[in-house]
Amino acid sequence: MSDPDLVDYAVEYAQSKGAAYAEARYEHQVEESFTLKNGVLDALGLTEDAGIGVRVLANGSLGFAATNFLTKGEIKAVVDSALRSAKGAKRKDPIVFAPEPAVVSNWSVPESRKLANVPVEDKVEEVQHIDRELVDLNYKMPARFFALNTIRITKYFANSEGSKIRSYSPRVRFWYFLTLMKDSDVEQCYRNYGWAGGWEALKEWRTLDKTLEEARTAWNALDHGTKSPEGRMDLVAGPQVAGIASHESCGHPTEADRVLGREASQAGKSFISPESVGMKVGSPVVNVVDDPTVEHAIAFYLYDDEGVRARRRYLYKDGIVNEFLQNRETAAVLGTKSNGAARATNYDREAIVRMANTFVEPKDWSVEEMIEDVKHGIYMKSFMEWNIDDKRYNGKYVGREAYLIENGEVKGPVRKTVVELTTPAFWSAVDAVGKDLEFEAGWCGKSDPGQPLDAAMGGPTIRLRNVSLR
Amino acid sequence: MEDHAEKIVKAGLELGAQDVVAEIVTDRSYQVRFAQNQPVIANEWRKSIGQVFLAYDRRVVVGQVTDFSKIRETVGKLVKVAKVSQENPEYAGLAKGPFKYSRANLDRKVLALTDGSDYVEAAINGALEEGAKECAGSFWRYHTEHFLHTSNGAEGHDVRARLYLSIRALVSLESSGHGVSCASRRSQFEPESAGHKAGRIAVLAKNPNSGKEGKYDIVFDPLIFGSLVDQVGGRSSAYFVQAGFSPFLKKLGKKVASEAVTIWDDGAADTIGARRFDDEGVPTKRKAIVQNGVLKTYLHNTSTAKKFKTKTTGNAGLIAPHPHALLVKPGDWTRDELFGEVKDGLWLTNTWYTRYQSFVSGDFSTIPRDGIFRIRNGEIVETWKDIRLTDNLIELWKRVEGLSKKTEQVTWWGEVGVPTIAPYALIRKVGITRSAM
Repeated sequence: MSDPDLVDYAVEYAQSKGAAYAEARYEHQVEESFTLKNGVLDALGLTEDAGIGVRVLANGSLGFAATNFLTKGEIKAVVDSALRSAKGAKRKDPIVFAPEPAVVSNWSVPESRKLANVPVEDKVEEVQHIDRELVDLNYKMPARFFALNTIRITKYFANSEGSKIRSYSPRVRFWYFLTLMKDSDVEQCYRNYGWAGGWEALKEWRTLDKTLEEARTAWNALDHGTKSPEGRMDLVAGPQVAGIASHESCGHPTEADRVLGREASQAGKSFISPESVGMKVGSPVVNVVDDPTVEHAIAFYLYDDEGVRARRRYLYKDGIVNEFLQNRETAAVLGTKSNGAARATNYDREAIVRMANTFVEPKDWSVEEMIEDVKHGIYMKSFMEWNIDDKRYNGKYVGREAYLIENGEVKGPVRKTVVELTTPAFWSAVDAVGKDLEFEAGWCGKSDPGQPLDAAMGGPTIRLRNVSLR
Repeated sequence: MEDHAEKIVKAGLELGAQDVVAEIVTDRSYQVRFAQNQPVIANEWRKSIGQVFLAYDRRVVVGQVTDFSKIRETVGKLVKVAKVSQENPEYAGLAKGPFKYSRANLDRKVLALTDGSDYVEAAINGALEEGAKECAGSFWRYHTEHFLHTSNGAEGHDVRARLYLSIRALVSLESSGHGVSCASRRSQFEPESAGHKAGRIAVLAKNPNSGKEGKYDIVFDPLIFGSLVDQVGGRSSAYFVQAGFSPFLKKLGKKVASEAVTIWDDGAADTIGARRFDDEGVPTKRKAIVQNGVLKTYLHNTSTAKKFKTKTTGNAGLIAPHPHALLVKPGDWTRDELFGEVKDGLWLTNTWYTRYQSFVSGDFSTIPRDGIFRIRNGEIVETWKDIRLTDNLIELWKRVEGLSKKTEQVTWWGEVGVPTIAPYALIRKVGITRSAM
């Protein structure tokens, strides 16, 4: 039996054994990766993984089982296992799924230069070239760490309602982490690039120029940086900062499974309740969206892992909570439809509600226009330390590259600007949104067992008025 | 499966590699997740993966075999890639076997367990009896079997079977508590106690007020103290030190904690992190990472050990060494005595989202969650919310005043990734900040 046939068989067999709903997902992931540490290629990684995960709904409960033994007998065993778990669950409130039409589709992400055709030596050389140029800057850098990863994901999804969806997603990631020291003073910086597509990613990213620029700004901070001023002032926050704030304080709190308590024990709950649609959390210029259909953003997809069509979701619209990220289970509880947010890291994980590409929707301000109107403030282009509480209300972003603004002009570098604000305090202070939309890749963590998943986060530069900084 | 490991090594050597390690891992784990006081899904896994490490003229490749009918073909691809790769001058070979291993500590009653719903129910009921309204968490029966074979003579077999339950109990969104139970034997597993603890903390944490910034003497519950221990254990990996992810660069032999602090890594101890050998086949054993406040060693595999002119500590990771299980030497205080020492401070029970401004300097913050309690003269006088612990990792450890005699085994999602035996701890003058409105 071929792998897709096994998927179809799993669904049919589950139905024959009494599943009210069944789905099976085959994934084949081919991954190449390496790390370059202080100029040394530690190891090349070459992994290939394939398997099938089966999820069933029976007696109002869910069971999931997965295997990488791709035989008919084994598929039968995992279906039996998932059904046994579901039927044996002592659940009071039956789980139901919001209705969806059956979909038959075959989609793929275009690769201008196919990842499979790029020799591994070329991939290594691309990164080593950056490393050599960094060394030539002659800064004291006790640690230089790079990671490059390419992955090709082939999927086939089928469910008992007639959906049959095939897909192919190639993705590229590049990540660096640099340590610069002057005497005993240290600056560390990182950047995380992600791309859905082929090897053309490297040209699009301009990684050499940007990495060298990052090192120069870190050295400049060590050389000339002063303590960031404390008090209430304006903050002009670059795309990286807007992106992380979008992800942490807009995307996560609007995940419907979190709102409903399904993730309460691990990833936490949300300051947003099921009744919060319409609640004000930001100024009227704030639109934060999550959109899986942004071309080449790393979390691009057309159908989610429940077979639901992807679309743009306005999480905060005009500063108001507008929509949650939903899968079919949460949508049924909340009396709505799924908006295609169900994803899993691989065949061996259940699909749960996830962000894809989350960002502040751009408007029409230039960065110069935002700065020229600031009497006293900080221009924070990037951050290092960040965190937020599990209800997504108390966030913190500490500046990496940041500058003082005085009377509309950018002055010298300031160090470790601390933006420690509640979610409404952050978004309500935004009075200008730029047009310079940029994305950065991230690993979004959620669920148990953990499912660290590709996500993009981004935005244009935004301006916050009169916020408390230190 | 043992045959597969041997076949992978044989194929690698025949195809030209000088060093080969194969570890076949068969996973038969089972989990029940629960939320809102009822199960939400049960998961089961039936997987076998052959993890492969090989070196060809010091060119290192890692990969995996998932289709065991294609061992030679898959290993061939890896060797081919190795031949076009680059030499790793820091690669120093594999530990030389054969090795003798301690007897496996295996409770077959754990393996025989096929339904965890009674444990889930016991934990939830424990929390509800304390007055909690909503419970969420997960029950795990971990079951993995490991067959290791190396080209340098190591051959090992290990069956790891463990029970784990994690429960968060809530009275409301901002009043919650967390409890865990970890056991390698069914007779030691106490999910109901974990539920009671989570419920008790949640009820105590009712009606919290916003916390205030400052420096406070803090009693750390074992779960949150485990998070701080995890930072020490993980960042003592020689690989992390080299890569810039550690505050322990150039700190060997130096004071990194108060004299009260001794932290061991011990993969041979009876914890749910126990394993008979590391990824090179070296038998696991106890070693002090920090002894009486002094950093004694980084964690090593054969290659990092050579780089640092020492011997492997039995902590391979073939690329990056890592801790297996962390144990804090108990102190001589009772929990009540630690609380009694606090004139004006806090009791913290859990945390998450630990992040650094600089790993090298150790400047970090983490966000306490679940019960946060104000202590005056040893007594709880108020419940807090919305604070952040902002400090420096090494300076914080230097301010450890006392540790309890009683310890608990903890591990938790994200924060305490390595199973840890942790006591209660009193740390002086800990930095607390909060978000501006």
